[in-house]
Amino acid sequence: MATAGKEILKGGFRMSQEKVVLKVYRYNPEVDEKPYYREYEVPTEGVQTLLDALFYIQENLDPTLSFRFFCRAAVCGSCAMKVNGISRLACKTPFKKLVERANGRPITVEPLNFLNTVKDLVVDHDKPFENLKKLQTWCEPKQPIPEKEYRVSPEEVKEYERPTNCILCFACYGSCEAVMDDPKYAGPFAFSRVYKYVLDSRVDEDHKRQMVKNAMEVGDIWSCVQCQKCIYVCPKGIRPAEDIQNVRGKAAEYGFKEYPGVKKVQHFVDWVYATGQINRLALPEEVYGVDPTPLINKFKERGAEVWEVPKPLPGLLEFRDLILEVMKEKKPHLDIDFHHVRRIDKKVEEIFKADVCTKVVEQFEEQREDFFSRFWKKISEFFGAR
Amino acid sequence: MKKIGFYQGCCFQGPDAHMFDTLKKVFSDLGVELKLLEKTTCCGGNTIDEANKYLVYSINARNIAIAEKEGLDLLVSCNTCYMVLAKTKHALDNDPRLRDEINKLLAEEGLEYKGTAKIWHLLPYLLEEVGIEKIKKKVKRPLSGWKIATYYGCHIKYPKEVAVVDSEDPKGLEELISALGGEPIKDYEGKDVCCGYHAYYTNKEVSLKKVVKAPQGAKKAGAEVLVTPCPLCFKAQDIYQDMAQADEQKVPSIYLPEILAYALGYDPKEAGLTYHIIPLSKISVNIPPAG
Ligand code: SF4
Ligand code: SF4
Ligand code: FES
Repeated sequence: MATAGKEILKGGFRMSQEKVVLKVYRYNPEVDEKPYYREYEVPTEGVQTLLDALFYIQENLDPTLSFRFFCRAAVCGSCAMKVNGISRLACKTPFKKLVERANGRPITVEPLNFLNTVKDLVVDHDKPFENLKKLQTWCEPKQPIPEKEYRVSPEEVKEYERPTNCILCFACYGSCEAVMDDPKYAGPFAFSRVYKYVLDSRVDEDHKRQMVKNAMEVGDIWSCVQCQKCIYVCPKGIRPAEDIQNVRGKAAEYGFKEYPGVKKVQHFVDWVYATGQINRLALPEEVYGVDPTPLINKFKERGAEVWEVPKPLPGLLEFRDLILEVMKEKKPHLDIDFHHVRRIDKKVEEIFKADVCTKVVEQFEEQREDFFSRFWKKISEFFGAR
Repeated sequence: MKKIGFYQGCCFQGPDAHMFDTLKKVFSDLGVELKLLEKTTCCGGNTIDEANKYLVYSINARNIAIAEKEGLDLLVSCNTCYMVLAKTKHALDNDPRLRDEINKLLAEEGLEYKGTAKIWHLLPYLLEEVGIEKIKKKVKRPLSGWKIATYYGCHIKYPKEVAVVDSEDPKGLEELISALGGEPIKDYEGKDVCCGYHAYYTNKEVSLKKVVKAPQGAKKAGAEVLVTPCPLCFKAQDIYQDMAQADEQKVPSIYLPEILAYALGYDPKEAGLTYHIIPLSKISVNIPPAG
C-alpha cells in the first residue's frame, strides 16, 4: 500500500513502509447489532502519538471511525481510551512505545471501560459528571464572606494543587476496580475533588461535612479496594487512591463512627499502638460484630496453632512513645482509643503470662512500673498538648 | 550463606505463624539466612494512612532504620507491606526535610533512616538474588502436571514508582513455576482483577464480588490452582473465596513460598499446604487437609 501520509499528518512526516496492526473497537449503536473489531495497518514510523495513528486511519483508511479529541496536548481530557487494556490519553501516548511493546502483535484500541459507547471510541461522559454533581463537589463559601477577598496561603494551595489538575478524562474511572463491581461508586476522580474542597479554607465547614457524607452514602467511597490503578493511569499525576484515604480519614474525624471502614481504622490505630501489630482475628468482631470462632476452629481442625493475640514486640514502649510524639505534632484524623488499648493490654498480659512468651512477660514485669508511669505521663502530655 | 533482614509484618500471626517457618526453611535451603528483625512493626496495612499519613512514614522509616542499623537490606514477603514501605522510602528519599523531621523522632530510640537499605519484595529477590538456576537445582519433587495460574496482585504492579514488575505485563512467576516443573498459565480472564482483600472490612459485598474473578478465569483457562507472591491475596483467595462461591467453583490458592517448599521436597504439612481453608484435595495431586 502506498504510504500517503505525507500530506496528511501535521509537520509532513515521512512514512515508513513498516506497518503495525491496530485492532480497533467499532460500534454504532444505531446500526450495529453488536460491537466488532476492525484491523487497520498503520505505518510504524512518522506517527507521533496514538491520536495521530487514529487520524491516519480516519483520513487514509476508514473515514467512518469516530473518536474524540480537542486540545491534542493532554489538557482537555477528551481523548482517553483503552490501549491494550490500559486507560490512556491518545494524544499523550507515544506511538513508538506502543509499537515496541506490541512486538509484532496487534495493538488493541477500545473505548474506556464502564461507560456507554456513543460510537466507536467515543464514550458518554454523563454518568461520571452526574456523579460529581451528586457529591456536591463545589464551593459553598464560608461565612461571613470577607469584604475584599478570601486570603489563601501558598502552603494551602500546594496542599490541593494535585487534585486541582484533574482534567476529567475519566481514565481512572475506566480502570477502577470499585466501579467494576459497584455501579454506585462515584469514581476515583470524584473523591479527589471532594478532598480538594475539603482542604480549601474558603469552603463552609458544614458543606465539607456534607460532601464527606455524600462520598460515603451517595458515592460509596468505602468500596475502594486500594488497588492503586487510578494512580497508575492518571495522566496528570493525581493520586486518587491516596485522596480517598484522606477523605475516609475526614469521615473518622467528623465522627461517622458507625461505618465499618472507620471501625477498621480504629482497630489498626489501637492495636498497632498497643502491640505493634494489628490482630486479624479480632477484626471480624470489632468491625462487624461477628464472632471469629467458627473460622478459628476451621484452622484448628486443620492442625494449625492459633495465636489469639500477636506477640508484643521487644521495644514496645519506645515504639508507643514514637506514635504519641507523632500524633502530638501532626494531628491525626482519628485518635487512639485508650480504653480499647487498656483492654488489649489486659488481654495480652493474660495470655502471655499463661503462655509461651515468657520473654515478653519478663520484659513486661521488669518494665511494668516504669511502663505505667511513662504511659500515663505520655497520655497526659498528649491530651495536654491539644 | 547470604543474609538479609526479614520484615514480618502482620502476615504471620493468628493461624499463620507456620508460614514464617516455611519461608525461613525454604530460604535457608536456597542459601539465604533470614534474620528476623523482631523490633519491626506492622506497616499500617495501607490503612493507618487514613488516620495519619505522617505516622505511616514514621513507623516505616523506623522499620527500615532497624534494618539499616544492622547493616542489612530488608526482605518483605507481602505485596501491601512492600508497597507501603517502598512508598515511605520514596517519600523520604525525595524529601530531605521530611527525612530530617522524622529522624529527629527516631533519634530517641537511637535509630536513623539513612536510605541505604534496599527494600526487596519476595518475588524479585528470588529471581534476581537467588536465581532460577539455583532454584531449579534444588527441586526434589517437580510439579509435573500441575496447571498453575499465576496471580501477581496489585501492590507490586502499581503505583509505578514502587512497582517491581512490569505493571502492564508482569513476568517472573511463570519462569519460577516452570523451574519447579509446573505448567504456568499466564493469560486468563481476571488475572489483573484485584483480589478484594482490602475492601473486606470496608465494604464486604464488593470484596466478595472481586475475590472470585481471578479464580473463575483461571478455572476457565484450565488451571487447577492459583499461585501468588502475596500472603494477603492468598488469604483472600483462601478464606473469602471460600465464603463467596460454591464448592465446585472454588480454585485453591497457594502462597509462593509454600509451593516452593513443596517442590523442594517438604512434606505438605511442612510446606503449609494442609492448613488451607479451600483444601488441595480436589486437585490432581490430592493433598488432603490435615485433621
Ligand atoms: S484504588 Fe480505589 S479508586 Fe483507585 S482504581 Fe482502585 S478501587 Fe478505584
Ligand atoms: S484523576 Fe486523573 S485520570 Fe482521573 S479524571 Fe482526573 S486527570 Fe483523568
Ligand atoms: S486531545 Fe485533549 S487531552 Fe487528548
